[in-house]
Amino acid sequence: MKTDRARARITCLIRASRRIQDPADPLGREARDRLPEVTGLTGQSVELALREHFETNPTDADINALLASSSSAPVCHVSLSANVFLAPLRALALAVATSETVYVRPSRRDPVVTELLVRALSEDPEFAANAKSLELVEMVCPEPGHELHLYGSDENLAAIMSTLPEGVIVRAHGSGVGFAVVSAQDDLAEAADALARDIGAFDQRGCLSPRFLLVEGGAVRAESFAVIQHRALLRYSEKYPRGPLDAALQAEIAQYRATIEAIGIYWEGPSHGVGLDPQPRSLVLPPPARIVHIVAPTEADLETLLAPWIRYVTTVGTNAKNGLSGKLKEWLSHARWTHLGDMQCPPLDGPVDQRTQATTTACWR
Amino acid sequence: MLRPATNRDVTSQATSESLHQRVQEFINRSLDLLPPERFDDLALEIARFQFAHVPAFARLCRARGVDLDKLDSAHAIPALPTDVFRLARIAAHSPDQDRRIFRTSGTSQGKEVRGEHPLRTTETYELGALGWAEQLLWPDRHRFAVAVLAPSASEIPDSSLSFMIDLFVQAVAERSAYVVHDGVLDLDHLQRFIGDAHFVGLPVLVLGTSFAFVHLIDQGGGRDLRLPNHSRLMQTGGFKGRSREVHPDELRQQMSVIFGLPPSHIVGEYGMTELSSQLYEETLVAAWNFESDVKHGIYQAPQWLSAAAADPVTLEALPPGETGILRFVDLANVDSCVAIQTMDLGRVTRGRVELFGRAPGAMLRGCSLTVEDLFVKGSS
Repeated sequence: MKTDRARARITCLIRASRRIQDPADPLGREARDRLPEVTGLTGQSVELALREHFETNPTDADINALLASSSSAPVCHVSLSANVFLAPLRALALAVATSETVYVRPSRRDPVVTELLVRALSEDPEFAANAKSLELVEMVCPEPGHELHLYGSDENLAAIMSTLPEGVIVRAHGSGVGFAVVSAQDDLAEAADALARDIGAFDQRGCLSPRFLLVEGGAVRAESFAVIQHRALLRYSEKYPRGPLDAALQAEIAQYRATIEAIGIYWEGPSHGVGLDPQPRSLVLPPPARIVHIVAPTEADLETLLAPWIRYVTTVGTNAKNGLSGKLKEWLSHARWTHLGDMQCPPLDGPVDQRTQATTTACWR
Repeated sequence: MLRPATNRDVTSQATSESLHQRVQEFINRSLDLLPPERFDDLALEIARFQFAHVPAFARLCRARGVDLDKLDSAHAIPALPTDVFRLARIAAHSPDQDRRIFRTSGTSQGKEVRGEHPLRTTETYELGALGWAEQLLWPDRHRFAVAVLAPSASEIPDSSLSFMIDLFVQAVAERSAYVVHDGVLDLDHLQRFIGDAHFVGLPVLVLGTSFAFVHLIDQGGGRDLRLPNHSRLMQTGGFKGRSREVHPDELRQQMSVIFGLPPSHIVGEYGMTELSSQLYEETLVAAWNFESDVKHGIYQAPQWLSAAAADPVTLEALPPGETGILRFVDLANVDSCVAIQTMDLGRVTRGRVELFGRAPGAMLRGCSLTVEDLFVKGSS
């Protein structure tokens, strides 16, 4: 019975999200008016995300999986910050799956989708019949026995967790990074086009965005791929240009570019950058602004290169099961694994960051 | 087994030797207040040598379209980001000629990705480090009881800081005590050592890292650690997750109380593994000269190290007095890279560097991992 009510709440939430997706709905119009300025994405990128990356058509199996991934609590608090702008749908789905009473603190910088979803649900009698409360709050104040879903930077999560009373169940979702493998069997042009979609979505701000591209077949193939990836990103950005960059991000790009120019080759377009390190000693994190770092590791170097990053990896894109992908699977079984081109389209089947399932703990200060 | 030397190695080494001689001459003349050769000429000659023998630097110059033969100013030399020291070998000589390899402390991602600065010879480093320390740390006397609150070079042989401190100990210590072993501060040892210095009438030179001093503050309550007259203290480095963070003014004030030192006698040092030269606050010298307008937080570079703030986006040097990310042209980096780009924010006025900490990261608009995250996690 509890599950039926939770399923009904999720169904209402999906319905609300479809209203935001619909450009003819007043909520959809408001979203399109407000999101470009708030997110810093271009209008084209906002529209693309609403159309292609909003998980408004989950299957029954997805919802079953989402319900199975959540627990039960008298009250669920949600603190959202520093996520991609569509993340509130999944965060709220997990929260309403957990409890009939939900308090949500939207991101201060980007509250739009949270506000619109909560507003839509407040007008939905079916939701009212299956929930006790869904409220926007300025601050989350969980009590012992409540569940708290935290989203944000690792630093912020640590700061919030250090202030909690004993007995709050915390599910913390921190920062993450995506890897992609271009296998020996992949057609380079097809792989690059697919990856351009994965890289371009949300201007690479999400933890599902590929930042490191591992190319099988040696340094020469990696360089060929880098050129093809550069061209694919040029084509992508003609349709979906990157949003404006703040000064700090421009500075990080300048530093990354200078670093890569010293060790390899850097290709730059108006909305992207591609860095190639032909002889990697370790991996350099490119800034999250449609910048990718390409290497051609051997299976022998892979462990050394990967070791510092394992705990951060949330997703791996690949079309292969063997070779580098097979080796990666040994270390990254906790990540989401998808085909190239689908990295930014995870089903609504639970937290996007599956690392959390393995580390969920009660916070006993 | 050593590989046989090639003609190219021999030529490279001869050029390197010649450049080291010129830099040492530059340092000696600067310290003797004699006019050295033109800084830019020597820096550019070193850069041209490195272009021929350090592939990463050559690639950077080519990518920037910079022809070193056409430059006139040292600050037009493309500056190598410090990060490159962990991604490629930055040396004009082959590994079998390494006399020392200094490594970064690996605060961001663990030991496997530490930056490396190989040195074919340490002579120029030693000359500059000792010469400049003598001017800013011990201009008035040369014999001290030296207390070291940092690991010794025998404990961490690849630490440039430990190497430098050992140099200082060898140069000025009548007696010495290393009071940090395996990361543990031995306060009893320190207290005994200070007591003995009082007994024999020797001033104490305390050398240590900021986080070691924080541990001392946290653990040393109630002990008498006041130093004899004419004592002084050099502190260096940040906290890097090894202790709680303490504001520099508060840390200085507390150390002033604990050691019974005037604040002017607590001198900050700024250095990094990728450089061969160091900068110091001038407060001690100013106190000796009865100058009252010298502040903490401003570091004086030696003449053989030129600092400039660079525009964070174009990476080009800014006019003096403007704030940007710091770049250094260090003549003592003969065999690695003469121009180094940091991510430290600062302002440079007449050779004095005002530090504002690490340049802030980009505003977070998503859950993508950032360099800031790496610093936070790596330091925890």
